[in-house]
Amino acid sequence: MSKVATKKATTKKAAAPKVAAKKTPVKKAAASKTLAPAFATEPSPSEKAAFVKAMWHGVQPKAEAGAKKTKTPKAAAPKVEVLRKIPAKKAPVNTALSAQALALAKLIEKAFVADEIDQLQPHALQALMEALCRTYAAQVEADIHEGVISHNSLVSATDVMVVCGALLKAVDLQVFELGMWQTWSGR
Amino acid sequence: MTEQFIGKLSEFKDGDRQIIRIGDDEVGVFRHGGEFYAYSNFCLHAGGPACEGLMIARVEEHLRPDKTSMGLSFSPTDMNFVCPWHGYEYDMKTGACVADKRLKLRRYDVKCKGDEVYVVV
Repeated sequence: MSKVATKKATTKKAAAPKVAAKKTPVKKAAASKTLAPAFATEPSPSEKAAFVKAMWHGVQPKAEAGAKKTKTPKAAAPKVEVLRKIPAKKAPVNTALSAQALALAKLIEKAFVADEIDQLQPHALQALMEALCRTYAAQVEADIHEGVISHNSLVSATDVMVVCGALLKAVDLQVFELGMWQTWSGR
Repeated sequence: MTEQFIGKLSEFKDGDRQIIRIGDDEVGVFRHGGEFYAYSNFCLHAGGPACEGLMIARVEEHLRPDKTSMGLSFSPTDMNFVCPWHGYEYDMKTGACVADKRLKLRRYDVKCKGDEVYVVV
């Protein structure tokens, strides 16, 4: 049994180098074919001269290198999208009510200048003050920014303090509470 | 420079504004006093939505001849808008920051063709 095994082994060993001997020359030939143009051949003098000319003059407009330029695709139009629409705030319109209010203010002012403050009865003044307070507060809430009195008004600081104090007292509020509310609400 | 259609003229009433995304940019388009203004919606301070804040008239101080103050009042003509994040205020007509005129929001041209409004990007 051992003799047979050794014979088989020897035949395998003998056959193996034959296959290897056949394969190796093929690989070398392929390698030499691929490497040949890079190392073996040198450009002809005319090719060298053409290369130097091309480098010196740059790419000419009608040259092959110039003609091969591919057109760059046009940039796509940017997408337009409306994110938010913010409408204008409501502005007070010029109505007959405004004109009547202006006329009434002129009449009251005229009476005040003429020292006829008793011409306006307390309940009439109350009605006016209530309507003005409610309307002014509603306009502030509606984000209509106008000064409560004009910059060239004749209203004095004392007048303001008297009116503010009376208004706070009328609704049972302390100055401290006013200050706290203004701080908390950021007004 | 391309003109991007953003809407019909009838959609913009005086005082209206629209925030529009054009590609990667956000643009605030204002209509004020019959004129259109468009600015980048990114505040120069911290990138807040500058064009979405309060629109408020410019505050002016009137002086007497001896330079003492008569008080503050709102301008009847000039309008500003305020970034809602930190209160940077910008001029509606120029896009310049009120506190520092060197800072300006990126401005976009707005064109009206018939009833159509375009922003030039």
